[in-house]
Amino acid sequence: MIQSKNFYRRLVSVIDFQLVFFVIGLTFISFVAIYSAGSNYGMSFKYLSVQLLAFSIGLFGFILIANFNYQYYKYLDKFIYILSSLLLISVLIFGSVKRGTKGWFDFGFISFQPVEIAKIMFILSLASFLDRKSKETGKISHLISVFLMLTGHLALIMIQPDLSSTLSYFPVTLILLFVSGVEPFYLFCIVVFGSVAVGLPLLGTFLNMQLQFSQRRIFLIDFMTSLQTGWMGVYVIGVILFLIVIIWYFLCKLKIKIAPIYPIILSASILFGCLSSLAIEKSLKDYQRKRFVVFLNPRFDPRGSGYNVIQSKIAIGSGKFIGKGFKKGTQTQLGFLPEQHTDFIFSVVAEEGGWVWAQITLFFYFFFVWRTFVIAKNARDRYGSLVAMGLATMFMFYIVINIGMVMGMMPATGVPLLFLSYGGSSIFSSLCAVGILCSISMRKYTHT
Amino acid sequence: MVIKMVWQKEDKFSYEIFITKYRTIFIFFLILFICLFIRLFCLQIVKGDRYRKISDQQRMHNTYERAPRGIIYSEDNTVLVENKFVFVALFYPFRQGQTLSYKNIEDLNKIFGKDVKFMINMSYKYGKVIKLADNLTLEDMFKIREKKLNLKGISVLRESRRVYCYPEATSHITGYTGEIGADEIEELSRYDYKIGDYIGRGGIEQIYDKYLRGKDGGWQIEMNAMGCQIKEFMYIQPEIGASVYSTINLKLQKVAYEALRGSSTGRGAVIVLDVKTGAVKVLVSCPGFDANKAGTKGFNKYLKDKKLSLFNRTLQALYPPGSVFKIITFVAALELMNVDIEEMVKCDGTFKLGNRNYSCWRRRGHEKVNLFSAMVHSCNVYFYKIGLKLGVKNLSKYAKRFHLGEKMGIDLPNEKKGFVPTPEWKKSKLKMRWLYGDTVILSIGQGALWVTPLQMACMISAVANNGICRKPYIVDRVVSSNGDEMYSHKSDFKERISLSDKTWDFLHKALLEVIENGTGIKSKIPGIKIAGKTGTAQNPQGDDHAWFVSYAPFDNPEIAMAVIIENGGGGGYNAVPIGRKIYETYFNMKSEKSIKQ
Repeated sequence: MIQSKNFYRRLVSVIDFQLVFFVIGLTFISFVAIYSAGSNYGMSFKYLSVQLLAFSIGLFGFILIANFNYQYYKYLDKFIYILSSLLLISVLIFGSVKRGTKGWFDFGFISFQPVEIAKIMFILSLASFLDRKSKETGKISHLISVFLMLTGHLALIMIQPDLSSTLSYFPVTLILLFVSGVEPFYLFCIVVFGSVAVGLPLLGTFLNMQLQFSQRRIFLIDFMTSLQTGWMGVYVIGVILFLIVIIWYFLCKLKIKIAPIYPIILSASILFGCLSSLAIEKSLKDYQRKRFVVFLNPRFDPRGSGYNVIQSKIAIGSGKFIGKGFKKGTQTQLGFLPEQHTDFIFSVVAEEGGWVWAQITLFFYFFFVWRTFVIAKNARDRYGSLVAMGLATMFMFYIVINIGMVMGMMPATGVPLLFLSYGGSSIFSSLCAVGILCSISMRKYTHT
Repeated sequence: MVIKMVWQKEDKFSYEIFITKYRTIFIFFLILFICLFIRLFCLQIVKGDRYRKISDQQRMHNTYERAPRGIIYSEDNTVLVENKFVFVALFYPFRQGQTLSYKNIEDLNKIFGKDVKFMINMSYKYGKVIKLADNLTLEDMFKIREKKLNLKGISVLRESRRVYCYPEATSHITGYTGEIGADEIEELSRYDYKIGDYIGRGGIEQIYDKYLRGKDGGWQIEMNAMGCQIKEFMYIQPEIGASVYSTINLKLQKVAYEALRGSSTGRGAVIVLDVKTGAVKVLVSCPGFDANKAGTKGFNKYLKDKKLSLFNRTLQALYPPGSVFKIITFVAALELMNVDIEEMVKCDGTFKLGNRNYSCWRRRGHEKVNLFSAMVHSCNVYFYKIGLKLGVKNLSKYAKRFHLGEKMGIDLPNEKKGFVPTPEWKKSKLKMRWLYGDTVILSIGQGALWVTPLQMACMISAVANNGICRKPYIVDRVVSSNGDEMYSHKSDFKERISLSDKTWDFLHKALLEVIENGTGIKSKIPGIKIAGKTGTAQNPQGDDHAWFVSYAPFDNPEIAMAVIIENGGGGGYNAVPIGRKIYETYFNMKSEKSIKQ
């Protein structure tokens, strides 16, 4: 008993204080921003108290998880994966619908989104799988099983349907595959496949919106439809594949030896990409396509899909150097900024706190990600490093997608901002993730 | 405590592979962060001012209350132009969350007698204040005031309208006002005009617009994203424009206008100048127009008018001066040729030069005339001969000394320069040699010589003043609403016409004789000595123009006058009686004044 007490005391003494400091700093910024953003709706105290409650529950989870040896997850990977799948299935059965998405467990005063925690569980089980199969990274079967794991989760989330939550799975899986030693060329082919499959249907929507008033529109739209429905598409794909073969042939002549399997895989990924683009074309809803496309030019329709981003840019820009002051941001307080306590919380910070606070927030995020990387480097085993890398990628994804969106660099998706956005599930799951990181960091030393 | 890194040591090879990939990813993430930093810096610091402006624009909304324009007075402080107030009903879409109820709209329709539903919906859609009704009666206004509670968002405001008290007689002096065009706003951007502002067009309204405008009042409101009013900032009372005191003598002006209207063609111009100061006492261009109709359909008829009502003939119309120009030929002859004033020349009605005949106005001729009687009876033949001797160079030089061919600099818009022909001009423009015949007709004020009535008035005023030519002006002073004098006229001279006293005396005597016994006898008024010159300007397009220039009293000139009747025929018969009427009125007023005192 005394031994275990000493053990915990020592664990606390070696906790990564820098990481915790950045998390607490960001949470503090979040409280202030949410209070200010809520005053527009007269909900400051409600939002703040819910956020505080979620934070304290998250803190509890953090302490619990930090003290739990992460190495057990490695052996529980199948269990964790099944548990997360069960969570996602049960939300489909028992969950309640919010904003068209059946993805919430409603506990009256607080509701919980299991997707958030399922993502972390997916990282834990995927890292374990990759760690165990580290010698088989060259095999196609290895890749296939990873993608089967991925597809299981994605399918369950798409049924809800929650498009934006599925997005973070892709970078996490790719980066983990890359780190665990999969040939980068295969990953490149996967990316090519994915962008062809998703990009083609979106290109049509993009051209449709971009060239709404242009003369060239008719020609390009006709071209797009003929690509998708007529023989034209087949010809174009044929030409591209032929070019790949030609290039490969000339590279061989130039004594640059490339195994013939590479061009074949590349061609196959393009071919399959085109085929699956036809399927995606049919399954994507019109508004979802538009949302993706709008970020390229938010001025398509100022009161429609692009309105949010324009107002957010105005809010950020008008903050200038020192900002308009706490609760004095006109964009925030007069309601021009949409979703200001959730997705666009960074704009509130940037408007009312100015460049100074926005940059401080960005630096906090940077150091937070940097600490995660340090933990990955110093982890006691390969599994710990993989988990830390996966979590770092997930954090990075949230930060870049959300802040990029509010600044008009990324498509408008409903991705919340890590630690800052109002939302119990987000803050709870983020703190749990930090708990796992702390658990890895605390056990970087072994005793003899 | 022994520290032992586990997989870093046990599996060194795979750890090294891991670290290289780890570095790649870290650099990639670092680049992403740097992109975010740059973007944030760009938005907030580089483009910050622009976005701050946009954010202010979308929340602030200005509502203006137009300032009434200043009042224009005549010489004796009679109001020429004033404002009347009308009530207009405005609709503000910001003061309430939703559109008006069906019943309210019904009520409004009843009061205004038109359907306002569409207008109100448009107002909501674009978040703009709209004018529901114009020119409301008091009764309607009270009806709206009564129901104000259930007609939230409607307010009744006073708006000023321009009233021109003497619409036709003074129309060319005052000008009129019209809504400013989009191109003008851009052009006059430094004066800060807004869409819907009124700007002066023509006359004093145009030249003194910056004083007359006043300062618009209004208020600024802050709106939220729903278009509801959140805050109202300070209300600013509109400030009336400054008053303009003109030098116009209203009574003379009216007499002159009526006289011109009653003349043979009803088209013409009269200018009366104060010889001592250059103040314009009368400026009539006939026909005038009703400035009150500006901006309405009734105004269109003036635009299409064949009589050119909107054309200010006093400054913009160019006529040949005809015999009036003989004053200049006369002076040039005395100054340069030392002519024997007693020398008699026979006038038999025509003057033969080469194979062309130039006739005198009186077919049977004047028998024998000298310089003096030639002036008095306006004998053309005498002046042909003198003009030929003087030559074109001297004639045009003297015409220019009398400020022909240049602007007089009156404070009214669109003044014309007129034209004095020279041999060089004819050669370069018409590619023709200057002929002696051109000199001959120039000496009696015909040919390519063009003058405005104002120039003639200034010329005769300079004659009355022995060569001192004062710049004509029409606005004496501008006084702001709180009594500050914002502008006052400073008398300004044009270059003095320096001639010998002998010449002036002789000219004065000749001009007096014109009225006493010569062509201007019709304006002879007992007891008052008037000096002047008549003119009948031949007009290639139509009938002759009738001229009369004069000043009075002879001994101590007070006023100088130029009268022209377009296509009016002979000056002595048509223009002179108008001059007489004005003199009669002027001297009657003067004697009334002295009796009162």
